[in-house]
Amino acid sequence: MDRRAVFFFGAALACFALIPVGLEKYQHVAEIVGVVYLVYALLSFLDARSRSRSRKR
Amino acid sequence: METLGVVLVIALALGFDYTNGFHDAANSIATVVSTRVLSPRWAVIWAAGFNFAAFLVFKTHVANTIAKDVVDQDILTIGVIFAGLVGAIGWNLITFYLGLPTSSSHALVGGIAGAAVSRSGTHVLVSEGLRKIGMFIVLSPLIGLALGLTITVLIQWVFHRYRRVERLNKGFRRGQLISAAAFSLGHGGNDAQKTMGVILAVLIASGHATANADVPLWVVLAAHSAIGLGTLSGGWRIVKTMGSKITRLQPVGGMAAETGAAVTLFYASSSGIPVSTTHTITGAIVGVGASRRLSAVRWGVAGRVVWAWLLTIPGAALVAAITSQIVRAFG
Repeated sequence: MDRRAVFFFGAALACFALIPVGLEKYQHVAEIVGVVYLVYALLSFLDARSRSRSRKR
Repeated sequence: METLGVVLVIALALGFDYTNGFHDAANSIATVVSTRVLSPRWAVIWAAGFNFAAFLVFKTHVANTIAKDVVDQDILTIGVIFAGLVGAIGWNLITFYLGLPTSSSHALVGGIAGAAVSRSGTHVLVSEGLRKIGMFIVLSPLIGLALGLTITVLIQWVFHRYRRVERLNKGFRRGQLISAAAFSLGHGGNDAQKTMGVILAVLIASGHATANADVPLWVVLAAHSAIGLGTLSGGWRIVKTMGSKITRLQPVGGMAAETGAAVTLFYASSSGIPVSTTHTITGAIVGVGASRRLSAVRWGVAGRVVWAWLLTIPGAALVAAITSQIVRAFG
């Protein structure tokens, strides 16, 4: 498993965990940053998978 | 006698701002020094100048948050503010001695909260303000990290076909001067305002200002001068940790980290959110390192920094609570 994808996924979870406890006025900031980290986790996962496939070839 | 107390606490607040300068402001120049864009001497002069100039750019929203949104204003006496400052300064000096890049801002919030709670209990804490500050304790390094990473990836994407590497590096070195200036501006704008907030609280507590007064100009100028002078004194232990121990930086990485952190600080200052400049730049540096691979980040050092972050608010609160009880006993 790509460690970077796991790290980004963890960061996204931390952002989403703030939404219910944080101030309503700033919830959108946590949501946006969380989504950015989810996108990074996905991209990092796909990047690692394509690299490992090309190495096998 | 009370006037003497007010003067003493204001002097202590400016002293805290000065220690903030040599403790936190080192972050402004760490990447510029580690990438050898500027010599240490010129880097501190550059950063201090922009720390001072920040008063021309930012309003005083952060100062109002510190003065009015951490603890109930009715409990803020000169003694409580004094104890809070002693807690913050004491904690800053301990972590400075240990070379840990902790947050002066959180030390201040922890100090004021600890001193107030030790006097009157937890009901004096302002939930809304603390939730806002708490939310951005977590978010500011994560935003800095995401921006540092995004800017690095964008730069790599735009310039990956460019073959004249030396010319490119020269351009990034020049760009780093601008990004360091922007970060120093953001740092001055956010951190100097915390001291302004403390002084405003003192003025309100002593009856020298009304409860909804804005920060007087002399307070703004004094706070920016103190942080600028602190930066001029430097904080080389922390520069070393920030600039090279977390991850090795090239000029392009330094520029991306400072720009990401500066954008975060600009947002926070304009929204009245006191954030840690240390957290923010650390996150951005980690983001730059993570754009290569996670093993480029020295996680041992980053982990040590995280522990220091977690301990800052309770540590400063404890020192402040003890001081508060001593002040009360002599009181």
